[in-house]
Amino acid sequence: MSKNVDAAPTATVAVSTTTKWKKIKTKMWKYRGFYLMFLPVFIFALFFFYLPMIGIRYAFYDYNGLKEATFVGIKHFKTMFTDPFKSKDFFNAVLNTVEISVFKLLLTTGFAVIVSIFLNEMINIHFKKVIQTIIYLPHFLSWVVTASLFSLILAPNSHGLINTFLLNIGVIKSADEYIYFLGSSAWWRPIYFLINLWKETGWQTVIFMATLSGINPELYEAASIDGAGRFQKMRYLTFPAIRNTILTVIILNLAKIMNLFESVWVLQNNAVIQTSQVLETYIYNQTFNSGRIPNYGYTAAVGLFKSLIGMVLVLVCNHWSKKVREGRGIV
Amino acid sequence: MANTNKVKAVNPNNRIKTFNVINAIIFIIVAFIIIIPMWKILSDSFDLRTSYGMRLWPKQFGFDGYMEVFGKVSLYRPLLVSVLTTVCGTALALTLSTLGAYVLIQWDMPGRKFFANYLLFTMIFNGGMIPTYLVLSSLGLVNTLWVVILFPALNVYNLVLMRNFFEGIPGSMYESAALDGCTPFQTFIRIVLPMSKAALASIGLMFAVTYWNDYTHYKLYINDSQLYNFQMKLRDMVMGSDLPVSSSLANENTIKNAAIIVAILPFMIAYPFLQKYFVKGVNIGAVKE
Repeated sequence: MSKNVDAAPTATVAVSTTTKWKKIKTKMWKYRGFYLMFLPVFIFALFFFYLPMIGIRYAFYDYNGLKEATFVGIKHFKTMFTDPFKSKDFFNAVLNTVEISVFKLLLTTGFAVIVSIFLNEMINIHFKKVIQTIIYLPHFLSWVVTASLFSLILAPNSHGLINTFLLNIGVIKSADEYIYFLGSSAWWRPIYFLINLWKETGWQTVIFMATLSGINPELYEAASIDGAGRFQKMRYLTFPAIRNTILTVIILNLAKIMNLFESVWVLQNNAVIQTSQVLETYIYNQTFNSGRIPNYGYTAAVGLFKSLIGMVLVLVCNHWSKKVREGRGIV
Repeated sequence: MANTNKVKAVNPNNRIKTFNVINAIIFIIVAFIIIIPMWKILSDSFDLRTSYGMRLWPKQFGFDGYMEVFGKVSLYRPLLVSVLTTVCGTALALTLSTLGAYVLIQWDMPGRKFFANYLLFTMIFNGGMIPTYLVLSSLGLVNTLWVVILFPALNVYNLVLMRNFFEGIPGSMYESAALDGCTPFQTFIRIVLPMSKAALASIGLMFAVTYWNDYTHYKLYINDSQLYNFQMKLRDMVMGSDLPVSSSLANENTIKNAAIIVAILPFMIAYPFLQKYFVKGVNIGAVKE
């Protein structure tokens, strides 16, 4: 009797799991077309994102592409952090990455906010459209084109627009004093930031302009009736309206600061390597430009460090984003 | 009394007018700062006299720079590679984004959440430059055009943008399609895609620009100069390591300037007409996400 009592519930559970399975199976059958449609996406992600993760194991191996890989444990991480020569370059690259990325982010976002607020005050719609078209344009130039363009304009000879301009207004006295902007460690960073401002500020305003166009015009009218001047309205109406968007832009981009590569790479040269070397260019140069047989193991280890920091940043920013954006994360 | 009122009423108006004028002037200056570097390259590309200096108009006008660029067989191949990878890549990328996005809005599908996380995880963590290089190399993809077409084709961020757009399609459309006996794929082709032309244009253009401008993937995975795209070729030319030997009036700087203009010309022509689609693309992401 007692045996029966014990058995009964187990049987029901068993039955319910099988019916559940059956239900899921029929549902899966119903959605079979969708699984098939997802297959290409699945395969692409597998080959280009998940298989490369298997390659991370090389961070724990010595491997030069010629001989078999040999397991060396955490040797590369020790080299990275403690080797007198390599650790110096490594820490320099980490510091440069953070400094350049963060400063660039704050600078372009700050300028984009100012430009957006003043653009929003523009009354003539056609004029505003023309200005917007012009300031968005450089965003679509490739970094190669941008670097080529500025290396010609900043050239330290009589072809360079900037140097001849400086000569004509008397800032530099003679042709001997032409400034090699991209090849001087004092000038490289300011120039890099200016080029980024030129290229990206305009495009960054798109997102702010979208928020600003959503502000109810009645608010401005009400403020005018209350006697608020133009600058007061900008300060107390416009700016608060985009404060959250500013935070969003900063969070979204903060998650990506470790990925800095192409913009630095195309503007970099040997004369400014100390001040311009970021983690990704360090990895690339160590692997492909060192003049020796590459040790993929060491650079894979540096890359793993970079990926881990990147992951922490994404997760922190995601958490932060959920807090300030009513539950919306970034991934 | 009436007098003071009048003064009060006029003053703010005047201030507003002054502000507008100053604001307009500032933006004209900003626009010039944006345009002058590009204009300078354009002007110099037609200038056969070097020592361009501060000239913003060619001193000795001539097309020789462009004749050099278009006269060189060595530049046709990179242009062809750029066009080919851009067209194929964009088509493939749009296929993947729309398929993935369409599947991700099937809220009731078993495993939907797994698929979503499967894609989202790639935004959090990646193998990194060197492991990716080693794995792609062992797959035999390095030094083929496959890698530069296939690799950028799956962009999870753009896929999510597309999904946000698809979410806006009213559910009744799907129901009526199902009632008409459409298979999921037929619904996708006949309902979802025709209703998403704006998103397809925006995201397709973003992909096209990415492919046309791609340099990083070539730099990493392509060593064979026969497979270089125009960006790679341009880089080599401007860095001075691969200048075509000049046989005409054009000097090397004029050729460099002309090559830059050729690289941006297709986009410059199309840009004024396409700008609204690019802006829309950003706003799909900004408004909903």
